[in-house]
Amino acid sequence: MRQLGELEAEIMDRLWTWGRPATAREIRDDLNRKRPIAYSTVKTVAEILFGKGMLAREKDGRAWLYTAACTRQRYTAARMADALEGSPDPAGALLSFVEQISADEVQALRSALRAARRRSGS
Amino acid sequence: MTAAAAMAAYALLVGAVAPYALARARWAHRAPGIAVLAWQGLSLTFVVATVLGVGHLACSGQGVHHGLLGLLGVCGPAGLAAVPFPATPAGAASLLAPATVALLPVGALVRTVRRARRERREHADLLRMIGSEAVEHGVTVVEHARAAVYCLPGRGGRIVATRGALTALTEEQFRAVLEHERAHMRGRHHLPRMAAQGFAAAFPWLPLARLAREQTALLLEMVADDRALRFHSRDALATAMCEVAAGSVPRPALGAGGPGALIRLRRILSPQGVPSRAARLGLVAASAAAPALPLLLACGSL
Repeated sequence: MRQLGELEAEIMDRLWTWGRPATAREIRDDLNRKRPIAYSTVKTVAEILFGKGMLAREKDGRAWLYTAACTRQRYTAARMADALEGSPDPAGALLSFVEQISADEVQALRSALRAARRRSGS
Repeated sequence: MTAAAAMAAYALLVGAVAPYALARARWAHRAPGIAVLAWQGLSLTFVVATVLGVGHLACSGQGVHHGLLGLLGVCGPAGLAAVPFPATPAGAASLLAPATVALLPVGALVRTVRRARRERREHADLLRMIGSEAVEHGVTVVEHARAAVYCLPGRGGRIVATRGALTALTEEQFRAVLEHERAHMRGRHHLPRMAAQGFAAAFPWLPLARLAREQTALLLEMVADDRALRFHSRDALATAMCEVAAGSVPRPALGAGGPGALIRLRRILSPQGVPSRAARLGLVAASAAAPALPLLLACGSL
């Protein structure tokens, strides 16, 4: 399972970096420069990513051409928003340095900091 | 019956009166680590008192009064040997009620731990996809404009910072935040937090459970703040808090309680001394003794 996640990340990384459609064979060839990996494995994981909606595909002759369904930036922004702005206290999976607070509360923090600096400065 | 009433009174005291006192206690913010222990002690006390109270109620008049205590083994091996296991169906049924009460928080805790594990695993998978390792700090950096620094605790844990946070903070401020997050990881702060979460999930209507969850989260942040302040200036940590809060997505104002951020900031900027050694020892002893008290009470009433 761990390796599957790793391979998914590597495939997405290639397609995001290239910014153009590519076949599973092209991706396999690039991955092979680092370590040997079977074409069927790459093809299977690409199909999983297609199933997850992360890749789009179109027929090019006899092969499928895969493209990233959205840019790395948009994917990152959407998923990080889910992770950080979801329910305020999920299962306590992540320990944030500062919880999200309102704009007024940020102002309150800033004025407390200013007041402390004045005190120590005088 | 008297014992059951005593247990009910004790459970009420621990579940609905003591938590308000502890949440207001001045010493808690001066010794946050001990205060976390005190909340856990109160929570355990509530469970023990409720289980014993229900047990007494279920067993009374059925001649298996001793069965429950014998089963729990609270009076030692001698007590266990003296009371035969209730062999009758009625006796077994009378143990079912307290066992159910005991299993309620255990089940909730197991669910909470499983859920947290799953979320952490999913987030680790996400980071593999969108994060990159910054070698010089040993953190995972995510190219995201909003400021956030957090840790993914547990096995294979790591600290994550967004590009927004790196941009907003100076080197010294960022190091202070890193020390704060490292304190969470080293102190395994996710464990008491999950315990409090699980307890709150088991007893959602209980003031103790709600306050224990809120306060445990806040107190653990204070513990991590204190750790960061050993190596970094108060100004660096306080400024970092302001910058990260300002750079994150603002959320609508919270209702009661207000944010812990302001309480923490004030505490960082105007520190108060820790309680004396004797006072700290006393608080730890009291936290440990509170759950044992109902057990002693139950033994004494035999």
